[in-house]
Amino acid sequence: MTYRVGIDIGGTFTDFALLKDGQVVLHKNLSTPEDRSLGVMEGLGKLAEKEGLDLTTFLSRCDAVVHGTTVADNTLIEMNGALTGLITTEGFRDEIEYRRGYKEDIWDVRLAPPKQITPRRRRLTVAERVLHDGSVHKALDEDSVRHACRQLKKQGVESLAVSLLFAHVNSAHERRVSEIAAEELPGVAVSLSHEVLPRAPEYDRTSTTVVNAFVAPRVTNYLERLVTRLRDGGYPGQLMVMQASGGVMSVNYIEGSPIRVLASGPAGGVIGSAHVGTAKGHPNLLCVDMGGTSYDMSLVLGGAAPAEAGWNMHHRYLIGVPMVKVETLGAGGGSICHVNAGALQVGPRSAGSEPGPIAYGRGGTEPTVTDALVMLGILSTEEGFAGGSFRLTRAGVEEAFAAIGAEMGTSAEQAAFDCWRVVNANMSQGVRRTTAGKGVDPKDLVMLAYGGNGPAFAAIQAEDLGISKVLVPKASPTFSALGTLVADPAIDEERSLIAKANALDLPKLRDLWSELCDRATRYFTAAGFAKDAVIASYRVNMRYAGQNFSLTFDIAPEGKLGDLSFVKDGLGARAIAAFNARHMAEYNHIRDHEVPEVTGVRLASRVPTPSPSATGGAVTPSTPPAPAKTRRANLGQGFANTPVYLGSQLAPGHLVQSPAIIEEVFTTIVVYPGWQAQVDAAGDYELVRT
Amino acid sequence: MSFELNRKLAAPRAPLPTAANIDPVTADIIRGAFETVCFEAATHLGRAASSPIINSSNERNAAIVDANGRLAMGAIGTPQLTFVNQMMVRWALMNMAEYDIGPGDVLLSNDPDHGGGHLPDYCVYAPVYSADGELIVFVSLQAHQGDTGGKDPGGFTLEATDIFTEGVTFPCLKLVHRGARRKDVFDMVVRNNRFATIAGDLAAMIGGVEIAAQRLSALTAHHGADVIKAAINHSISHTERRMKEEFSAWPDGTYEGTVLIDADTMGTKDVKVHVACTVQGDRLTVDLTGTDDRQELVGVWNTFANSRSYVMTQVVAMVDPTIVKNEGVFNAVEIIIPEGCIAQPPPNKPAALGSFHPACEITEAVCLALSAVVPERAQPQLYKIGMPNAVIGFDANGMWMDQGVDCRSMDSSAVQGIDGWGSCPASLGNLLLSEAEDAEARFPILNISREMTTDGGGAGQWRGSPGSLNVKQVLSPTMAMAWMVSADHPLRGMCGGDDAIPYSNHFEWGSPGQYKIERTAQAQLPQDAVIAYQHGGGAGFGPALKRDPKAVKEDVLDEYVSLDAARSKYGVVLTGSLEDYTLEVDHAATEALRQQMGAAA
Repeated sequence: MTYRVGIDIGGTFTDFALLKDGQVVLHKNLSTPEDRSLGVMEGLGKLAEKEGLDLTTFLSRCDAVVHGTTVADNTLIEMNGALTGLITTEGFRDEIEYRRGYKEDIWDVRLAPPKQITPRRRRLTVAERVLHDGSVHKALDEDSVRHACRQLKKQGVESLAVSLLFAHVNSAHERRVSEIAAEELPGVAVSLSHEVLPRAPEYDRTSTTVVNAFVAPRVTNYLERLVTRLRDGGYPGQLMVMQASGGVMSVNYIEGSPIRVLASGPAGGVIGSAHVGTAKGHPNLLCVDMGGTSYDMSLVLGGAAPAEAGWNMHHRYLIGVPMVKVETLGAGGGSICHVNAGALQVGPRSAGSEPGPIAYGRGGTEPTVTDALVMLGILSTEEGFAGGSFRLTRAGVEEAFAAIGAEMGTSAEQAAFDCWRVVNANMSQGVRRTTAGKGVDPKDLVMLAYGGNGPAFAAIQAEDLGISKVLVPKASPTFSALGTLVADPAIDEERSLIAKANALDLPKLRDLWSELCDRATRYFTAAGFAKDAVIASYRVNMRYAGQNFSLTFDIAPEGKLGDLSFVKDGLGARAIAAFNARHMAEYNHIRDHEVPEVTGVRLASRVPTPSPSATGGAVTPSTPPAPAKTRRANLGQGFANTPVYLGSQLAPGHLVQSPAIIEEVFTTIVVYPGWQAQVDAAGDYELVRT
Repeated sequence: MSFELNRKLAAPRAPLPTAANIDPVTADIIRGAFETVCFEAATHLGRAASSPIINSSNERNAAIVDANGRLAMGAIGTPQLTFVNQMMVRWALMNMAEYDIGPGDVLLSNDPDHGGGHLPDYCVYAPVYSADGELIVFVSLQAHQGDTGGKDPGGFTLEATDIFTEGVTFPCLKLVHRGARRKDVFDMVVRNNRFATIAGDLAAMIGGVEIAAQRLSALTAHHGADVIKAAINHSISHTERRMKEEFSAWPDGTYEGTVLIDADTMGTKDVKVHVACTVQGDRLTVDLTGTDDRQELVGVWNTFANSRSYVMTQVVAMVDPTIVKNEGVFNAVEIIIPEGCIAQPPPNKPAALGSFHPACEITEAVCLALSAVVPERAQPQLYKIGMPNAVIGFDANGMWMDQGVDCRSMDSSAVQGIDGWGSCPASLGNLLLSEAEDAEARFPILNISREMTTDGGGAGQWRGSPGSLNVKQVLSPTMAMAWMVSADHPLRGMCGGDDAIPYSNHFEWGSPGQYKIERTAQAQLPQDAVIAYQHGGGAGFGPALKRDPKAVKEDVLDEYVSLDAARSKYGVVLTGSLEDYTLEVDHAATEALRQQMGAAA
């Protein structure tokens, strides 16, 4: 028997999905913020125990350990990355501070500035200038580079970002700066903009490079520590790491560009959703993930969740690398319910896992969404919560909602119900904002709900949005972990050039794609994959002159790595036709009197990975066993005695009529009035409107 | 089209009649749904429009106006657009029968004398009815169009003396009648506009309001018309109450602010905006009496609706930012604007440039007046730049204009407790600046420097963000246009803070032919000529001598402030070496110097 393990660390829980013989085993334990690799090892130990093995034997039988880490996100949240310096072109010292004019709140004049990763004294300029065509306007003044390095050394800089103008077109100056930095600043990590994000414009590239430099040492240290613990524990293979693009890749690759793990956790969930939904015949999905701190929303269309590189703001910095698009709302189980100037509000502040909701009994005093669900009878205080790791309590919950009720002029139970309504409305509006501008009406989608708290709200959300079917996979609470298991090893990189699409320099394009192919070959080979196993998608970035953002699309059918036979006469015409089609789909118009420009080439390469089967489909409906118990609960229509089923007693085909509550090991599914739930052939739940 | 019409348009409006009682949670849920409808409409417009002003720079807005003409929900976009659109909708409401307005209609307005701002701000809007035919709301979209069909491309004419010079004016024009596009009307609008993408942009605006109207119809059907109306009433009265709570906490009194514009576009100097803000209990009155009314002024006329909007843009910046922006803000504030002054021009005055100046001096004067009352929010929401240098050339494809609009760092003033930061004041913060790498790939331009100027921000207990010096070289012969203000009268400091530095602008910089732009310029630049535009930066807040000496030391290390200015402006004596990052505050010497400077002052 061999195993594959997917691990995802969230703000509250660390989730595990173990794949064996096509079967998935789940585990969950609390995250260990002080050293997250400890929580990982603890969970692996538990999985080994479940398999009746010691950790060493268990790990030695693992084919793959795949990991989604939040260490980069946490570094930015806590702003405790490396002491970082920036070297940039003279005259352009302050672009990173201007942020292209962007401020997050146009109404709040007291909005504080983002904490500067590179305050002005640590962003120094060097005399040099490359032009847009790559020609050198002013040679690099090496003395100015040495001077800048020495000034940074005096300040104790630990990590250096280098972002020179048009380095994505001609990287010679950046590379020379890197060589000089190696001499002048030994031991300092160096991030070069033409490697981290080789495209225009300067703010986007500089911001991405600066953040990369800031998180690099911590990400690298964390991964090295985990690799060591796994190796010491007996794992013989390579640790694979989830990227925000939705693919996984070796630690070796990630360490060359650590920013690619930023926001990778949610991406894992979306990849898992696409896999499960498509297998069940639903390629168009609204994926909603309600965990402890947030409600993440994303779209899967045609079975895919494409990674987009654009205006991705994370923790107040622009991150330009490709990311699966996930919108986030501060609405999770831990979101705090409070009254602000007479208005009842839920979130975005969260009680997290420490102290957590009042019902956790860990010292939390502010009422949360989880507490509201306890008040409403939706969550049980009888059995263990989160897989039996602890039990919820009502102590203090009622008092907290009574206080809110006093402010709003209602009872405690009504206040809890109002919190449920508010968080529901927030989530519905969030979904509508996610689909806005995509040409998608939510009612045409199937909802796929996951995260520990997702299934408690899913059907009522769907009702609100006009959606008539909801899927709740039994792996729902650990979906991001499952996602890391089904995600393909993948590299998605680009190279920049700017050229009118009707005047392309084909040899130049071939060179750029070749360079990307060589890099992919090198990293895939090092990670133990044969070059022939790699599937390559050759893409171009294009826009009309004057647009701020480019569109990216395939320019050739998927093919082999290194097969550039499509780079031939006629490529420009094909590119223009494909661009116009894509522009029409995205923006509903084209400018037929204009020739668009190519702004870069991209290579998305991947190796298909063995995935757990995720089928489902129709089974003959059958009557479930009698409910295990009843509970007084309010499912939106007032308190009533409500049947409670245990997931462990339900089998494929069982059809549960509303109103009902289904208690699964890690989650609670609510069958709201007007809905019914059926267990499908794979043991997953399908909720439909009656 | 008269002062009397302005009075009617601005008159307070009653709540909607409704039989429903609503609980605050339901009301707030409906408010959230309205906000999302605005987001969806604005997003549709951003996605479907091809003008970069709309889809890249985000200069657009969506709003919902109720059947009584009250702003029910705004919006996603620039504040000054949010607070104008209901005035245009009110003109339509006054003419429902005359214009035969009914379900499925879509209307267009931009008339400065019928509730509008300046001509480029097209407002496209549609009525929404309940199932039994009762008018519930209008949904409206505004966007800045690249042209208005007047004398000059773009719609801005420095010497314009009437609105007809600036372009085509629509008091209320029906683009769609009962769901059917009026192609004759649509084509006429498009024909009177130079902008290549106007047809698509206008179609995108129509599409946006139609989608929003459908969503609002569905919401009305779902909740019932009475509940929707009750929710609007609740939301507006909640906002009014919240505004009044804020004003109640302010000390009673009359607070005045006077701001001067260097000159109008013809050189008449010292154009004045005067504001008196009176706080009495929970009421705020903003009175522009004393504002310049010289009829011979050129270019500096701001429409009545725009003046109200800019007053409100600043007032809402000075209260809790989470207060929902709707008619409640107007209900809580009395705005007095004398008829015939530059903030309420007589009919037919030009309107284009007035949206910059004196509009921005109105926000500045309101801020100045209230700075002692709400020091923690006293940041003027404006742009003090006359206009960015327009660099225009011709190549094989025809005319080009450097899209790399020169704005980098300007006008970000401090408030109590927070130094000015970022590129511009908060309310302009959703407009996205273009970058050198994009501009240089398209135009024969070399950006030489765009860095902040040391000592380029007003000193103060909290410091203004330094203005940037934008230096660019033209690589082929090029035309350049400029309009200078804020040199004689730079952005004002608040509560004892220093003013920002003056704007200054040089053409053919660093060459023997170098010259300074005093007022306006329309120049032919030879190949390789350099232009250098020093932006004014933000002003300071509070006396500079009160700034924490440690913060001054940090500023010097970051080269926001020079060692000289640390001493001469802040009275801070530093020891050690800037070069070696070993600066330390000499507290005793600093104390002594500050006492000496304080005594001298």
